[in-house]
Amino acid sequence: MRPDLKALAITEKELERLTGCDVGPLFVGGILGGVYRPSIFQTLQRSLAFCLTEVVVFLLVFAFTLPIGLSLMRDSSNGVNQVPGMLQFLTVTLGMALMVMIAWNVYMWLRGKRLRSLMQLLDEVDRYHAVIGAIAVLDQLEAVGHPQTVLSDANLSQTSLQNRTEVLEALRLTRDNLVAGLMTEKILRDSRGLLARRQELIAGIETNLVTLRAIEVKHQANEYGQVLNEALQIGIKVHQEIQQLSN
Amino acid sequence: MNYFSTVVALLRDRKEFLEEIHDSVKLKSKISALMLCSFCFFALYGAIIGTFHSPLQALSSAIKLPALYLITLLVCLPTLYIFNVLFGSKQSIAQHFTYLLTAVSVIAVLLCGFAPVTLFFLITVNDYSFFLLLNVAIFALTGVLGVSFLYQIMKPISDSDTGEGVKVRTSILRFWLGLYGFVGSQLGWTLRPFFGSPGQFELFRPREGSFFSGVWNAIVNLLT
Repeated sequence: MRPDLKALAITEKELERLTGCDVGPLFVGGILGGVYRPSIFQTLQRSLAFCLTEVVVFLLVFAFTLPIGLSLMRDSSNGVNQVPGMLQFLTVTLGMALMVMIAWNVYMWLRGKRLRSLMQLLDEVDRYHAVIGAIAVLDQLEAVGHPQTVLSDANLSQTSLQNRTEVLEALRLTRDNLVAGLMTEKILRDSRGLLARRQELIAGIETNLVTLRAIEVKHQANEYGQVLNEALQIGIKVHQEIQQLSN
Repeated sequence: MNYFSTVVALLRDRKEFLEEIHDSVKLKSKISALMLCSFCFFALYGAIIGTFHSPLQALSSAIKLPALYLITLLVCLPTLYIFNVLFGSKQSIAQHFTYLLTAVSVIAVLLCGFAPVTLFFLITVNDYSFFLLLNVAIFALTGVLGVSFLYQIMKPISDSDTGEGVKVRTSILRFWLGLYGFVGSQLGWTLRPFFGSPGQFELFRPREGSFFSGVWNAIVNLLT
């Protein structure tokens, strides 16, 4: 990835600073005390990873319930090595582990509802990184001398370098929108009140959106049109989300 | 899953990883990842040693071995934290927990490193006492390495401060490592069998004797 493109990516540390949460592909705020991201159910790979995590966490909780089960069975008339005793032990430990898992999932679901806006903004950050990834691929193809491979209009290859500069500008604006959106969400989440900085951030997003629209209209017909459109869509989503938050 | 990348980061770039713990960077993620990964590694090794007896014992050991290490850690954590804070440590309980989990994860990874050797002897040797002693040796070696790793990584925290507290906290750490071993061996004795002696499958053995008397008996059995 070229340095100018790399500089546009929002790093994990930056995302943590902006959101105040530890953001991962499956969970926000880590497994312990965090919430799962609703977008994990949109892809099979992430859904499977989430299910696997649930299974491992269940087994971990089950392991922690062993001494409790053992101490409860101490005075039991059924020895823990006889079948009835074993079943009793497993009922106690598995039951406790199951209850912990249900409580944990309910907690995540309830907390996730309160963080809906943050989750949507984080999905937009993912989309933004996907766009950056797509441009990195375009760059690689251009570097090996196949600029037309991914072009819809082959005769536009000569203008690709100039377009790239404008696409990067559009991405920079999108990045600013996302950063402003995440900051606004954090401020509102933390204070739940009106703050002077909020209006400033929203105004910044609106200005960026107007510029993005202008770039998008100018390049609708060329190969970067889709990327610009994607950037614009992300910007609009961020704007909508912030508008909703401020109402 | 990217949980394993946390362990890889720990193994590859230990200094940066420890600095991040010191600066409280992504602590929750680290705790979650280290806990889940160490659980998986211990479960894998537990399943291997349990296979010596039966599939049921493998299943039982796969849960009991992670329980042994992680519960011991949780039982001993408050002692270390409270004593350290009392003698001037500025580290939070989450940082203490992450440091301890780091050491336990190192033990788990080391055990996994020994897994092929254990598997080899599991296939080629059919002697319970030998297998038991081999694993006691492996557990002792990995335990010593893990404990010395913990001693090294927690020492710089003491070095960052000056005065009387440093010496006291170093002594606390030494005492705590002994306590960790003591609690761990007794919990291991309570949760046994992990290997499953020849005969019928047992979920737990009756509470009698101690870990040290058990090791002594195994040595006597091997020599006679």
